[in-house]
Amino acid sequence: MSLKEKDEHDHLGWMKGKQLSPIEKGYLFTLIWLDKRFRVVDYLELLETLYYRVNLQMPKSHTEQYNLDNKFWYWYPLYALGSFSTLAYVVAAISGALLGFYYTPSAAAAADTGTVAYSQITFIMQDLQFGFMLRSIHRWSAQVMTAAVFLHMLRVYFTGAYKEPRELNWLLGIVLISLTMGFGYTGYLLPWDQLAYWAGQIGVEMSLSIPLIGEWVAQLVFGGFSLGAPTLQRMYILHVFLLPFVVTTLIAIHIAIVWIQGIAEPH
Amino acid sequence: MADDDRHRNGREGRDVEVPMRLYKTVTVFSTLIAVFAVVFGFLLLDAAALGTGLIRQAVRSLLGLLSLSPSDSLLSAMFAVAGLASIAVGAGVYVLGTRFQAAEMGEGGD
Repeated sequence: MSLKEKDEHDHLGWMKGKQLSPIEKGYLFTLIWLDKRFRVVDYLELLETLYYRVNLQMPKSHTEQYNLDNKFWYWYPLYALGSFSTLAYVVAAISGALLGFYYTPSAAAAADTGTVAYSQITFIMQDLQFGFMLRSIHRWSAQVMTAAVFLHMLRVYFTGAYKEPRELNWLLGIVLISLTMGFGYTGYLLPWDQLAYWAGQIGVEMSLSIPLIGEWVAQLVFGGFSLGAPTLQRMYILHVFLLPFVVTTLIAIHIAIVWIQGIAEPH
Repeated sequence: MADDDRHRNGREGRDVEVPMRLYKTVTVFSTLIAVFAVVFGFLLLDAAALGTGLIRQAVRSLLGLLSLSPSDSLLSAMFAVAGLASIAVGAGVYVLGTRFQAAEMGEGGD
């Protein structure tokens, strides 16, 4: 492929034979003048040819082979939700690591007012350069990840992508969506403000409501039956140590299985 | 201006049928020009609203070379007018471009 001049269409001759107003004539003349010099359209046509030639080399998918595209095309954007969740996870991880430089998980009384944890949050939000942006990015990527993971699950369910031989990856996905919510909950408690404190209280009471092992679960996860320094400490370790290792590993396995088995064709 | 292409399909406004290659030229370049004009217009509006800014300072120093020093409010007014004009030009270029159609386009339904 080269960009040799093609036999040019005689634009000016065509314009003479057409009844055009002076504005239209000037308009077309200007655009033709620009086109002859910058040749953007030629380059775009080159890209178009390239696109179709590359496409011809690709194997036909199930939908193309059985001519299902006309019924199925609107699902295709939703196939991006898995990548989208991963991307949100990476953004949350990077912004979270940066936030970790400034946050302290301490429920001790701060020098001025409130707890050390909360005063670090106000420091990040009010005094730290780009701190407001950093925390907002972390929060929004977390929200986006939760939403994207949930929609990803709906897509997998409604296209039947969970069916044999992919049952294992579906179960792994259920574990991952639960751990994502665990990430969200533990992160929610870290500012140690009123919202966090009472969300923690709800968590303790939910744990206590579990039959037989309730008290043991509350002790393990929240470090006691009432909220305090041990609770914040445990939420912090869960959020920045335990969950990152577990979730990153499981995401890697989840994606590896998709890689090995290929994208599921619609059922 | 009277033309056989007028009101071909009951749609308001004039349609002019052009060859495919010319249609591509019109679409690509009118869109490019419109996008640049509108974005540039908003940059000018920004320069009008914001006391500090690269464009405003560049223009101010340029005028300084001509030993002109307009007041802040005059400068803002000029920027605002220029910005709105640029946006209007962009819209105009785009709208003018939509009347040129290749054969068999805009005949309704597909």
